[in-house]
Amino acid sequence: MKEEQKQSSLGVNPSFIPSKKNIDSHSHVRGESVYVDDIPVREGTLHAAIFSSPIAHGKIKSLNLEKAKAYPKVKFILTHKDIPGENEIGGIVQDEPLLAIDEVHFQGNPIAMVLAETELAAREALHLIEVEIEPLPIVVDPREAFEKGMLHIPSRSFNLGNTKTNWENCAYVFEGEADTAGQEHLYLETQGAYAYPVENGHIYIASSTQGPTAVQRTAAKVLGIPMHKIEVDVLRLGGGFGGKEDQATAWGVFAALGAQVTHKPVKVILHRMDDMKMTGKRNPYRSNYKIGLDENLKIIAYEATYFQNAGAATDLSPAIMERTLFHGTNSYFIPNVHITAHCCKTHLPPNTAFRGFGGPQGMFVIEAAIVKAAHEIGVDPFKIQEANLLKNKDVFSYGQIVDQCEAKSTWEALKISHDFEKTKREILAFNAENEQFKKGMAIMPICFGISFTNTPMNQARALVHVYQDGSIGVSTAAVEMGQGVNTKMVQVAAQAFSINADRIKIESTNTTRVANTSPSAASSTADLNGKALWIACNKILARFHQAARETLNLDKDALIEIKEEQVFANNKPTDIHWEALVQIAFLKRMNLSESGHYSTPKIHFDKAKEKGHPFAYHVYGTALFEVTLDCLRGRYQFDAVKIVHDFGTSMNRIIDLGQTEGGLVQGIGWMTMEELKYNEEGRLLSNALSTYKIPDIYSVPKDIEVNFLNTDGNDMAIFKSKAVGEPPLLYGIGAYFALVDAIRAFNPNFDPTCYFAPMTPEKALMALYNNK
Amino acid sequence: MATFKLNINGKIREIEADEDMPILWALRDQCDLVGTKYGCGIAQCGACTIHLDGDAIRSCSYPISRVGDKKITTIEGLSEKGDHPLQEAWKALDVPQCGYCQAGQIMTAAAFLKENKNPSEQEVEDAMHANICRCGTYNRIKKAVLEASKNL
Repeated sequence: MKEEQKQSSLGVNPSFIPSKKNIDSHSHVRGESVYVDDIPVREGTLHAAIFSSPIAHGKIKSLNLEKAKAYPKVKFILTHKDIPGENEIGGIVQDEPLLAIDEVHFQGNPIAMVLAETELAAREALHLIEVEIEPLPIVVDPREAFEKGMLHIPSRSFNLGNTKTNWENCAYVFEGEADTAGQEHLYLETQGAYAYPVENGHIYIASSTQGPTAVQRTAAKVLGIPMHKIEVDVLRLGGGFGGKEDQATAWGVFAALGAQVTHKPVKVILHRMDDMKMTGKRNPYRSNYKIGLDENLKIIAYEATYFQNAGAATDLSPAIMERTLFHGTNSYFIPNVHITAHCCKTHLPPNTAFRGFGGPQGMFVIEAAIVKAAHEIGVDPFKIQEANLLKNKDVFSYGQIVDQCEAKSTWEALKISHDFEKTKREILAFNAENEQFKKGMAIMPICFGISFTNTPMNQARALVHVYQDGSIGVSTAAVEMGQGVNTKMVQVAAQAFSINADRIKIESTNTTRVANTSPSAASSTADLNGKALWIACNKILARFHQAARETLNLDKDALIEIKEEQVFANNKPTDIHWEALVQIAFLKRMNLSESGHYSTPKIHFDKAKEKGHPFAYHVYGTALFEVTLDCLRGRYQFDAVKIVHDFGTSMNRIIDLGQTEGGLVQGIGWMTMEELKYNEEGRLLSNALSTYKIPDIYSVPKDIEVNFLNTDGNDMAIFKSKAVGEPPLLYGIGAYFALVDAIRAFNPNFDPTCYFAPMTPEKALMALYNNK
Repeated sequence: MATFKLNINGKIREIEADEDMPILWALRDQCDLVGTKYGCGIAQCGACTIHLDGDAIRSCSYPISRVGDKKITTIEGLSEKGDHPLQEAWKALDVPQCGYCQAGQIMTAAAFLKENKNPSEQEVEDAMHANICRCGTYNRIKKAVLEASKNL
């Protein structure tokens, strides 16, 4: 009420609140939003199709391109011999040629690029390429790869206390296995890029990438030219989810290579089945665990070994593996921890980032260990979870001290609104009365560290132009892929200047305006870029304040503020409005443009000791899952998911809620219906949308309730509004264990040595009747 | 190659194409109507949904030779000013995230609401279940369809 009165007394429009609506909604609903494949093509554009290996491992004996070259409308076919620079696209480790030289390491490994006047001709010509490959042994299982010593990088371990000497202090010790399958990103917009030559050997690339600089740097290397000769522009992505962090690079480089060699514009857009075949997924993991508890259900010791299926090239797997270790103990304090991860090389496409980035794979294992222990001891799993929740001043296995912990507060808040014991009693009562249908429940607490675990990546820059008419153009490194980051950037600039959000335009993400960018990933995009933008805006604002003081003949200590576009001096309104202020500053020849640079303070990590303070802060939350399982068919429906989530002080509840629901649905998909199947030859069997099923409108829980926990937030988060991209996906793990609970209501003997996600209806049916 | 005369969003267009070419590519590559998206190519995701005489079809799997004189409507022609009640409800509830599937979602919903002006939640689910959204905006899609049904 007070705010409203103040606004009306100023005579300004009370709608001067930073925009909260998604700024892209208008063009999205009209079909006017532009994605890479929507950019009008230039005259003479060539269309690419990639010829790739039909087998998973082998030596190339011969390659015959003659028939394909002679096919109508085919203009060029490029192989590794046509690469002027380095034939290398590996991000962390240099182990991935763009085009195979003499060996192939996975089905779909690119060998040649056909360029034709039409896409159809290019694709048809693929069938005329003859390749002879001498098969070599194929490994698709990470445990087998480990046995054979096939590791991309040395293994790593995190240690806290001493597990060895503490097993004897445990009243209970249990061992087992827990495996999670991969997950196809299935961004609805497939991978793609459009490149054309610009004068003097420069190349422009429009790319659907989360990491414009990765495309630029890698294209420069492959093309053998300096980075400044390559401009990468990203307007928006039709979904990324991590699948376009590193794996968008190859397609951008293919387009650039084609443009450089042929001097023609080149478009590379993957067909869905090629995208599914050629690109990596969420890393599948196989794991062992050993857990020890005392009689009060306190976890005394925990050991785990993670066999990460990294695929044929290193890609981002070392960083993903690292995050598995960081999140190996989820939301729990365990005094004695010894966890080890192996980055196993197999003959699958290089696996890669996917929302959660290894964290979910690690958290699934500790949750499986807890459910196993609860089953053996004969208590509800939530009793063990509750007894071990993190609290302030506890220490993570990697040495960071727990601070501003919301593990218990989210747990307690959820328990107050949804009494777990009562829910359990209701489920037991339902199950006692029903033969065919059984209900199950699970509680899923989450804890996710925010920052790139590779400390140098935690930096960002922004560029702000204030134009003479008071409108503003903002460039940052943030890539809009549906997470609403552009809307949040509008809010930051509008808040900084206290102006109408309509005055602010977010430009495309472009390497010539903002250079050396970190990818939009690790949930950190709004934090890093928002803080850089805030810094840039405030530099300009300081000049505007000076301009106002000079114009109003005030001394240098006078307090100048802009409130809803009106200039205030010493707390009194003046007759200077935003547009006039901009004019004054311009006529005084002040710089109306500025860049801002932000690097996350305080974070560090020592890989030699595996200790440090890698995260700016953590995000917490707790979810309750209820499921009904049809014990005749194995089908199930999630009746309710109740969440209390730690958003800090959310700067945009509409967007943050959308991220939470979307992440949850994706997590449930990974744990239940999304079955990524490879055969022993490394061939992807679930290679189309007809065989790989992701959640549809039926699969969404009937009742999703997301409650915002009121917390102070964290200064390291933009406007104390905590990162929200990845953490909600972790709740999905609860879906799996709710199903386990329902299965046990029907088949009390269900006690697998290995908990294996996803729990598809087929697998649920097997579990219901196995050993019953 | 054959020549096809198509009525697209009320305008007659002449298209040269093979008989089995999916209509999606005529729209995207020859008519510059790129609001309709390619998602899977096998009619499994719904991103390419358009209307043929008001019925929702998957343009990625519908050969151009089968269109005949039926009227094609794409997202660009759904409403004159882009203010169809569904488009308005979609904006009011901030449904889209990445946006890529949304034109297809809206086209499916528009054909459905023409047949069923007062749908139940279950009927909305039944109508929308074959349109995939990887961002998981389903709850808002459902709410927006119900909301729009009140403003038809």
